[in-house]
Amino acid sequence: MKATRKTVLPNILLLAGLSLLLCGEAWFGYRVSTLSSQQQEIKTDYSVVNNITFGILSVDQWREKMVAVVDGKVKEFDMTAGQKKELQKKVEKQLNQLVDKAVADVNKPQKSIGGKLKKLAFNAVVDPEEIKAEVPTFAATIVTRINKPASKKRLKSIINSKVDQLENETFDNTEPASARVTRHVYKKYKVSNTKDFEKKINLQLTHIETLMYNYTYAMIGCVLLALGLWLLLKKQVRLHTTLYILSLLFAFVLLLVGVTATIIEVDARIESLNFTLLSEKLAFTNQVLFFQSKSITGIISSLVDQPKPDAVLVGILILLFVIILPVLRMMGKGILIWGREKYAENKLVRFLALDLGKWDMADVMVVGIAMTYIGLNGILQSQLSSLNIQEELLSTVTKNNTSLQPGYYIFVAYVVYVSILSLILKRLKPIEK
Amino acid sequence: MHETTKPRNKPIITKLLLIFGLAILLCAEGYFGYQLQQLSEQQEQIKEDYSNINNISSGLFSVEQWRDKVSAIVSHQIRDFTLSPKQKKELQKEVEVVIIALIDKAEALINKPKKTIDGKIKKFIVKTFVNTDNFREKAPSFAKEIIAKVYNPSNKKQLSKVVMSKFDALERAEYLDSAVAATKAANEKVFKKYGASSNEELNEKLISSLSRIRTETYNYSFAMLGCIVIVLSLWWILRKRVDLHAPLFIMSLMFAFMLLFIGLTASMIEVDARIKSVDFVLLGEHVIFENQVLFFQSKSILDVVKVLIAQPAVDAILVGVLILIFSILFPVMKLSATGIHLLSKKKIARNKIIRYFAFQSGKWSMADVIVIAILMVYIGLNGLLDSQLKSLNIKSDDLNVITTNNTALQPGFIIFISFVLYGLILSTILKFISPHESH
Repeated sequence: MKATRKTVLPNILLLAGLSLLLCGEAWFGYRVSTLSSQQQEIKTDYSVVNNITFGILSVDQWREKMVAVVDGKVKEFDMTAGQKKELQKKVEKQLNQLVDKAVADVNKPQKSIGGKLKKLAFNAVVDPEEIKAEVPTFAATIVTRINKPASKKRLKSIINSKVDQLENETFDNTEPASARVTRHVYKKYKVSNTKDFEKKINLQLTHIETLMYNYTYAMIGCVLLALGLWLLLKKQVRLHTTLYILSLLFAFVLLLVGVTATIIEVDARIESLNFTLLSEKLAFTNQVLFFQSKSITGIISSLVDQPKPDAVLVGILILLFVIILPVLRMMGKGILIWGREKYAENKLVRFLALDLGKWDMADVMVVGIAMTYIGLNGILQSQLSSLNIQEELLSTVTKNNTSLQPGYYIFVAYVVYVSILSLILKRLKPIEK
Repeated sequence: MHETTKPRNKPIITKLLLIFGLAILLCAEGYFGYQLQQLSEQQEQIKEDYSNINNISSGLFSVEQWRDKVSAIVSHQIRDFTLSPKQKKELQKEVEVVIIALIDKAEALINKPKKTIDGKIKKFIVKTFVNTDNFREKAPSFAKEIIAKVYNPSNKKQLSKVVMSKFDALERAEYLDSAVAATKAANEKVFKKYGASSNEELNEKLISSLSRIRTETYNYSFAMLGCIVIVLSLWWILRKRVDLHAPLFIMSLMFAFMLLFIGLTASMIEVDARIKSVDFVLLGEHVIFENQVLFFQSKSILDVVKVLIAQPAVDAILVGVLILIFSILFPVMKLSATGIHLLSKKKIARNKIIRYFAFQSGKWSMADVIVIAILMVYIGLNGLLDSQLKSLNIKSDDLNVITTNNTALQPGFIIFISFVLYGLILSTILKFISPHESH
């Protein structure tokens, strides 16, 4: 009696303690999962609003910026002394030509008496050279007249209205779409302008990121604690069954979070594009070329949603090998260690627990994701760096924010943890091998 | 050993029959594979031509295209240059002011005290005959006349002629001509190759032949898979005939090699990035660029390795090498190891390395499948903007959206997956039939 009570009590204690820890882990995992989908949503919204379609690729945007430059140029237009001189010269030339023409007209052989008289009078009174000598003063009059503020204002208003007219003749369809998208997203984040939006988003993202990493560490800490217990209770053979089954539950939580949290985030941007037009700078900033952020389940569901059968097949295979088989294997191990003879000797259970390793591809997935990340990152990096231009008129800066996300680390933790558990199982049940 | 000659004779015949039958099947598979590879090469070529013809650099980024469009815009702008009545009025006022200023100046000049008699007489004459106030009154009508003169159609025509000739001169810049000639020659060559005369016709032809090739490649790849299914069902049928297992297994390995070879060289993924259409109104002139291809290629797994190894970053090269290992080295080792395990003596068969490759290594080839699948999801299914726009009920057709939606998996991928799965099944079979494994 006493002996049984002795085993029951520590068993219950262990069960309660570990359940508490498991709840902690599940809570942290839940938070990681929700935070990562929250992050994904925010970044998606951000990249839609800042999409290149509504920026560099939008004619409306270019028009606005160009018109602003031209308007500014017109407004601040002022003739420099040099330009005035130039203009004066041109006007002088025109006036001289005019005088020459008038003189030539009068000096044409006249047939009528009136015409001859006029010619005589003209030649008597007017000396072309004298008039030409006055040309510069007339030209100066014209130039100063045009440069008077009232005249300048008038001319500028004429040009401005012409520019506006041309502006109205240039458009595409991005503006209404962009306005709608922006309004929708701003409303969602309760902001009214770009500056507030950027600020709010950045604040939220840094907040989420720190939280998410903290929760990730907490999760991994829980798992390490559970493993530590194995070391502590090495000698307590009676407790091993309970401990093992609870450990499997830990692994299950890790797997669940690992497949639902984001694994890779691809984010390629044109940080800034500066373009010099009429010595004014045109700038586009933060243009999102490409954004994609997915969890393993996200990858599977988008493959399965494809209309093409081969993509669906691949999606199903990944689902089978990376999620379903690992879960089945854990269940098999759990039943095997539970120790009820009837189940433990069952062929199916033994197959699930011991022979399925070859088909369980969670470890392959870890390597595959890492390879994809590095490869994608490398290709993007070199593609983007070829877009980096530093010239006098045009300069662009691109940025590649592709990164591995907590989901991947949790998934790695799952794979490592499960392989440790398999080792432990081998030790626990040496006969089964 | 203890059996009579008759039954002993029979197995040899059945064995030979089996080998013979499977050899024919293998030849069929080889033929399908060869066709598949040819088609996939052909497809690659067509895609290259298609993307050259429709490339963004000969469309949206082509100076030639813009030159045509801009010259239309410029001539339209000059010919239809109009000032609104208000603008006209303003301009007239300005001219008027200048004229009055000139008259004032002239008057002042005349009124200057003259010293010479000649000058005095002139002043007198002008003062008596010319009434400057009269001129001032006439200033508005002068201004009107001047503007009308500048503004009349024949003048505008002349002006536009002058501008256009300047523009043409600009158009005929030499470097442009040579570039245009080069693209034209290249296009002609492609046109000739496909017997087409215009872009539209060529595109139609290319697209139809691409879709034909697509169906054909799928048919061939299904035929290949059919061969594999036949082999596997033979295993099921002959599961009791232990004597036939060894030749059957070796033949199965040959099938696996064939699958591997085709899976590696046939195209696996088709990456297609394009701007559907760029459509806007520029200074009253509609400018449309359609189907601007940024990138349209199909890649086999070896091509992916090549791309990765060509990257400057060391880690990318490492990944390329890893893919190469998982896709070539591991499978070849695995297939050889299974063969060795089955045929050789117990000591070699139970060698750790042989056993690892024979039984455990198969799943690592799946890493390549996963890489391609994830790449496909990340690069290909970038319908982010599209779906967001759809949820807001905005049509994305008339926006300049870069889409990669036509990115798709290709038959090579299916073949490679089948190879991996087939390999895994073979090693499971091996476990059952191996004389060296306790079962």
